Amino acid sequence: MGNNNDTIARLLQRNAAEHGDDIAMREKDRGIWMEITWAEYADEVLLCAAGFAALGVKQGDAVMILGNNRVRLYAGMAALSMLRAYAMPAYAAATLEELQHFVGEANIAAALVEDQEQVDKVMDLREAGADIASIVYDEGRGLNLYDTPGLMSWDALLKKGEVNLAKNPDLKTRLIEGSTPDDPAVFMHSSGTTGAPKGIVLSQKNVISGVRNAHEDGAFEYGEDILAYLPMAWVGDYALTVAAAITFRFIVNVPEREDTVQRDMREIAPNFYLAAPRTWDNMLTSIQVGIENSTPMKKWLYHFFMDRSIDAQRRTLNGEATGLLDKLGLLVGEQIIFGPIKDQFGLSRLKHAFTGGEAIGEDTFIFYRALGIKLRQLYGQTESSAFNAIQAAGEARLHTVGKPLPGVEVKIADDGEIMLQSDSIFAGYFNNEKATAEAFRDGWFLTGDAGYLEDDGHLVVLGRVSEVVHTKSGERYVPNYIENRLKFSPYIKDAAVVGAGLDELTAMVCVDAEAVGHWAEVNAVPYVSYADLSQRPEVAELLDEAFKRVNKALTEGLQLHRFVSLHKEFDPDDGEITRTRKLRRKVVEERYAPVIEALYDGSKDVHLKAVVTYETGETGSVERTLLVREV
Amino acid sequence: MFYRLSGVHHSSYKSDRKMFPVPADRNLVVFLLILGIAAPFLVPSLYLNSYMLPWLIWTAAVLGLNLVTGWAGQLHLGYAAVMAVGAYSAVHAAKFGIPWEFALLIGGLASSVIGSLFAFTALRVKGLYLALTTLAMQFVMDWVLTHSPAISGGSHASLQSPTFALLGQKITSDAGLYYVALGWCVLVTIFMLNLKRTGLGRALVAVREKDFAAAILGVNSFYYKVVAFAASSFIAGVTGAILVATFYFLAAPEQFAVNVSIQVLAMVIIGGLGSIIGSYLGAALILLVPGIVNKIFSGGADVIGLNLGIETLAHIPNAAYGALIVIFLMVEPLGLGKLYANVRDYLMVWPFDQLKK
Repeated sequence: MGNNNDTIARLLQRNAAEHGDDIAMREKDRGIWMEITWAEYADEVLLCAAGFAALGVKQGDAVMILGNNRVRLYAGMAALSMLRAYAMPAYAAATLEELQHFVGEANIAAALVEDQEQVDKVMDLREAGADIASIVYDEGRGLNLYDTPGLMSWDALLKKGEVNLAKNPDLKTRLIEGSTPDDPAVFMHSSGTTGAPKGIVLSQKNVISGVRNAHEDGAFEYGEDILAYLPMAWVGDYALTVAAAITFRFIVNVPEREDTVQRDMREIAPNFYLAAPRTWDNMLTSIQVGIENSTPMKKWLYHFFMDRSIDAQRRTLNGEATGLLDKLGLLVGEQIIFGPIKDQFGLSRLKHAFTGGEAIGEDTFIFYRALGIKLRQLYGQTESSAFNAIQAAGEARLHTVGKPLPGVEVKIADDGEIMLQSDSIFAGYFNNEKATAEAFRDGWFLTGDAGYLEDDGHLVVLGRVSEVVHTKSGERYVPNYIENRLKFSPYIKDAAVVGAGLDELTAMVCVDAEAVGHWAEVNAVPYVSYADLSQRPEVAELLDEAFKRVNKALTEGLQLHRFVSLHKEFDPDDGEITRTRKLRRKVVEERYAPVIEALYDGSKDVHLKAVVTYETGETGSVERTLLVREV
Repeated sequence: MFYRLSGVHHSSYKSDRKMFPVPADRNLVVFLLILGIAAPFLVPSLYLNSYMLPWLIWTAAVLGLNLVTGWAGQLHLGYAAVMAVGAYSAVHAAKFGIPWEFALLIGGLASSVIGSLFAFTALRVKGLYLALTTLAMQFVMDWVLTHSPAISGGSHASLQSPTFALLGQKITSDAGLYYVALGWCVLVTIFMLNLKRTGLGRALVAVREKDFAAAILGVNSFYYKVVAFAASSFIAGVTGAILVATFYFLAAPEQFAVNVSIQVLAMVIIGGLGSIIGSYLGAALILLVPGIVNKIFSGGADVIGLNLGIETLAHIPNAAYGALIVIFLMVEPLGLGKLYANVRDYLMVWPFDQLKK
């Protein structure tokens, strides 16, 4: 274990000194994975830090990080920790409005961005009154005619850094040794499912102890090969590709573009993979659609082995023993079905597979375990540097998230809320004492999740405290839990279950354009648009089956009685879901209030006028008649 | 199923252009090569020298014809004639006392010169006209051979080939001769595999697809056609010489008659135009299957106690063999090589049905 005085800068220097020739990062450029070693990476970070210093970035300033995963943006984040400044990553698809919220929080001295698109956004911010002195870009395409003041390329920044280092001989030592563990590592934001995002500053001590706790509990080893594909503004990405990667010398592989991730994933075949349940769901849908399109013989083989394996997994989950026959099935299935499927998706070298961010559907979880992937649940928050508890590799229990990590103490409050204490927990919301006071009680951090500890120390998370709701008859339920079960159907992309304080539950669903579109193609169902497809009676029957299946697993009072298939998918640009695709329940219930009303007043259809935000930021409206279906 | 691709990534263009980027392909090639090298210890010498050896030599010839027909798209009906030029030149050179290494080279170059000469006249015409011109070359060569005692020793004479030797070592053992054939075949295969990824190979393909279009792209189609004829003729010449030196041991005009030209072309077409694995399979089908079919029929007749006449026994296998070729070409008109590629593609995306988007 490292000592308590470690900072990102010192760990990086240590890697460069002791493992200078090992690969630190690979970034795919025109099909080729360009490798850089730890020595080169440390150099680049140092020059970048000196460059930012020359631009006048000082302690307490913030630098906005805008774009998809890029090696240089990661280097920039590490460099800013040397300057004791805040690296503030934002989602690449963030709208101007969302960014403006960030601008108000801290003094943003510069922006480090991916490409022209993001440069334009920063220029819009400037126009709206933000005082961002410099813009540094990674990819220069389309920028040669820009004459915006303060705009410079990454190379120009490094050049400035070089000059600065040459002029100030002691700068290098100051940069490497100047920061302390209590200085900021990154400036994150809460996901904001229930309101405006709150600023969360994680110190270097927070993030480093977070990943050390996770390592001690076996979440990853030294030198894992990982794929950096998560959005940079998500704490999971920072914790892995910066904190854990530097602390444990990971090889970080950066995909070429957002839309090549699947292919790049296959080329890399990471050892460690953390994904949100949604991503696992999507992959599952791809597999199911792929098999559906396959020949009868291959379909039969797939079902022969898969169904048995899923069955065996279920029995294991229920604590029953599995027989010799199951083992044999797994062995043969691995060779002819599971292995090839895992190979197609780049999962074949996976040793540590995690799902985190929200609860995963039972069927999805079991599916991957049946496929031979030791999928484990991870419980964490932005506020606690992403790692609170993980399941051990050997155990396969669905309802718990495993034991709390070593170094993380868990207490359950009287009202059932999970409280935490650990070095990895932040000091408080940035410039928001009211929220900070609400988040801490006697030195314990209130997670906002309801849960309990089992006798053997396993933590059970039930859902957000604010999300546990009751029907009129007092039946307690977590909408998210039912929604996840619905989403197991490949045809349902998003779902919103309503019924708090009402007699019975109903749901609004968005069909999966790709899966249903393909199904329609195969079954000769004509349609002209997503909205049209969603209202087809054939599609309704398809959805009906999915609902019936989910209802079978639900108790009497919690069964879904009616549903409406919405005419558009939930979109983060419309504020219906967050950028990590979590449902913003309040927004959805407000926007679709007429639909909810129709679900309960017995009408057969509902006329809806919806406001749509286009990618340009303009708004328009769409009118549609949606049909209410009985299950 | 067997083609595992995850984890295969390239960190330089050099590695990206590897000959076998798929590990399973590489393993298969290595396995076959080891099998080829170990064959003298695994296969009885009768089979080694009367099946394996000619198969490898004819494969080299098929690859050479594939270069001009499959890659450059020029129909060639006089391939045996070109082989004859190489065979006679090399044997005469060897008789003259020139070491075999150089004799082979002389054979190759002589073929190359004659082949390109014909190319010059032939390249003024295209398609069927070209086919007819190359056929004429075949007949001219037949006539020259039978009517020039200086070359062939006369119409029914044959020319004894001196004992084959490499680096001063006489090679007479079965295994030794087999290794010579294997070495040449591997050499030609490596050349053809590399041809695919060179500018020359791409230019040839461009010429094949449409010579006007290639010319517009800046590919001098006449030049590349001549290069294709010259390179293919060189391979033919050396192969012809090796065929005589290690298999026939004497050269006679009827070994390189028009039916041989047709046979090599049949190997190319059944194997698949432009396919390397197809060249191996095509040569095997034409060369080895008649014997196998014969055995099956005579054996089968014995087993069920059917007393077939000699005549019938001689003709039924021929009919079956012809039917086999027709069936193969009906199932996959692009040849055995394409059949193999189909199986490979099928397993490549297993258990899914098509490549993912």
